[in-house]
Amino acid sequence: MKKYAKLLPFFVPGIALYLALFIYPTVTGFYYSLTDWDGLSPSYQFVGIDNYTNVAKDIIFRKSIVNNVKFMVAVVIVQTVVSLLLALQLSKQKKVNVALRSLYFVPTILSSVSVGFIWTFVYDPSLGLLNGLLEAVGLSSWTQNWLGDTGIAIFSIAAVQAWAHIGQMIILFVAGLQAIPEELVESAKLDGATRLQLFFRVIWPLLAPAAAIVVSYTTIQSFKAFDLVFTMTGGGPAYSTEILSTYIYNSAFMNYTFGKASTASVYFLLLISFITFLQFRALRTDRVSY
Amino acid sequence: MKRIRKPQLALLALTMILSVVLSACGSSNSSTNTNGSKPANEASEGSPGGKPVTISFIHWRGEDAAVLDGIIKKFEAENSGIKVDTQVFPSDQYQSTAQAKLLDGSVGDVFASFPGAQFEAIAKAGLFTDLSDAPFLTNFTPSLIESGQKDGKQLAVPYQLVYNIPIYNVKLFEKYGIEVPKDWDGFLAAAEKLKQEGIVPIAFPGADIGPGQFMNPMVMNNAPDEDIFVKLEAGEAKLTDEWWVKTLSQFKELNDKGYFQKDALGTKGDAAGALFVQEKAAILATGSYQLVGNKKNNPELQQGLLAPITVPADQAVFEGIHTTTFMLAVNSKSKHPEEAKKFIVFLSRPDIAAEYANGTGQNVTVKDVEYTSEELKAVAEWTSKKTRFQPRFTIKNAEVQKAVTSSIQAVLGGTEPAKAAADAQAIVDQQIGK
Repeated sequence: MKKYAKLLPFFVPGIALYLALFIYPTVTGFYYSLTDWDGLSPSYQFVGIDNYTNVAKDIIFRKSIVNNVKFMVAVVIVQTVVSLLLALQLSKQKKVNVALRSLYFVPTILSSVSVGFIWTFVYDPSLGLLNGLLEAVGLSSWTQNWLGDTGIAIFSIAAVQAWAHIGQMIILFVAGLQAIPEELVESAKLDGATRLQLFFRVIWPLLAPAAAIVVSYTTIQSFKAFDLVFTMTGGGPAYSTEILSTYIYNSAFMNYTFGKASTASVYFLLLISFITFLQFRALRTDRVSY
Repeated sequence: MKRIRKPQLALLALTMILSVVLSACGSSNSSTNTNGSKPANEASEGSPGGKPVTISFIHWRGEDAAVLDGIIKKFEAENSGIKVDTQVFPSDQYQSTAQAKLLDGSVGDVFASFPGAQFEAIAKAGLFTDLSDAPFLTNFTPSLIESGQKDGKQLAVPYQLVYNIPIYNVKLFEKYGIEVPKDWDGFLAAAEKLKQEGIVPIAFPGADIGPGQFMNPMVMNNAPDEDIFVKLEAGEAKLTDEWWVKTLSQFKELNDKGYFQKDALGTKGDAAGALFVQEKAAILATGSYQLVGNKKNNPELQQGLLAPITVPADQAVFEGIHTTTFMLAVNSKSKHPEEAKKFIVFLSRPDIAAEYANGTGQNVTVKDVEYTSEELKAVAEWTSKKTRFQPRFTIKNAEVQKAVTSSIQAVLGGTEPAKAAADAQAIVDQQIGK
């Protein structure tokens, strides 16, 4: 143990940064969640767990959770399936594949605010590109009020979220696919495995760690989505796209109830942790070995 | 270790450059320093020895920046010891972050505030300097600066005057022989005539500003009590009462009869404005602040203001809605309060207010201002009409405000008015602790 003592100072900068940038804000957030601080006044009162009971009963908070779950499920399914399918096509190290992977990655490097504004125009019901395109190819019956219909607005934004991040997930899947030993695939083929058998019996189990990362990252990312919702609908129409992050923003910065916003953030943290835990359990990445 | 080949290196470099450039383009946090001078907290401090002082002026009116820069230059020329450093923020960002910026007094010696929730929050935090005894207040029309008062003190001075009532296309109305309606039946008849003629009667930006704007003239005569939303927040009135359910039913009627453009809930302000400017729609359900912009986009446009009267003509109490906003104030944490006040005194001079009004196309609350444009003159005529302060801004709680406007969206989305009103009232009850 003594020989490691000299190394301890090297941990200090990292630990200090972690304490200052993660632990301190988290603890402070928890502290304010027990107060009625408005974010401006120098004084505030301790209210115990009042914020926790009030937020739990809050109609908009509950709606936000439901919307967040809808958004998350749509994004996780679309983003994971589409990126996996594309990764299977693009995993070979060919020039065209490298070029296509770069192309699919481009939306990832765009600012989400820009993406939100661009897609707001694309989705505009009367002047937008999407309805115009559908009408031009004779699919007028498919045109929708993409962001104005309370039933589909959240899914329209979810599609944009998936579009913007599929390139990132392709890279993760391609890395996972390229790590699968070639001889396993070859021997399965020699044993007469069909393409489906090859995928489900050989590739998918070995791809599980990458899939676990993709799914958990996508889940966290979709739960934390803020910019897109804020720029595209602001949570409307009629709360149909209100999600937890916009709820927290509105509580803190529009209604000046920082205590309540901090409480919602604590719930948010617990919810993401719980869902991520469940996902890791479901994907059982610990049982995968090469 | 694999060596990175040149094309890969080039691709990597290009990606990094692109990401930096695009991130910069898309940043929503940018603020504009319009005159390029040093920030106030870096500027030389004022002193009895006459050293120059730099005051900070923060607001959200990016579209007025060029005109304000010209005015600031004049102010600096007349007050050689004072420099003004302006920072302009996008309006939504300003609403959410201005208060925090004002707290330490390093920025916003002079600042602008929205009426309603933001004004209340800043007042609660004690960031307004009391201007009640300032002589320059006599330059303003007294009734138009009331929204800057709280507990008998003049905490801020509203500078802009806006009428939150729809704009109509005068030529289209004349072409189809439509008179400005005086009651609800007349309004519906006018809309029907326009629809029959193939014109969209009302361009309604239901996705963003529409509900918050159009609700004001729609509710003004259904609930003539100017304190109706104050009573709502006090638990003495309810959205499930007749006045609001009727308002929602009238929204539903306009929507069901096809008097709004198709898919109104998905239409944002720009798209609705485009329909009006292209003369595809006869009425734009926003407010007077868009008159000049519309004219710029279509110089042939002849515009007027028209408020829907939702009751029989003999029961109408109000003719329209006004809002006094862009409320100028002095930060109580300012290190240079006297210089800050001097700047507001300068802005309140009729010649300077006229320069601001005519340059920006906004009417002002300052008295004896000479307007030069047709639109501003038309709006100025409304000062003699019976209007009331924007009801939406009398709602102090932002969540209550959102519940009210969301109930309009819910109705346009297919919810029955009574149900939408009940849902919104449930949120109100929760907010006011009932």
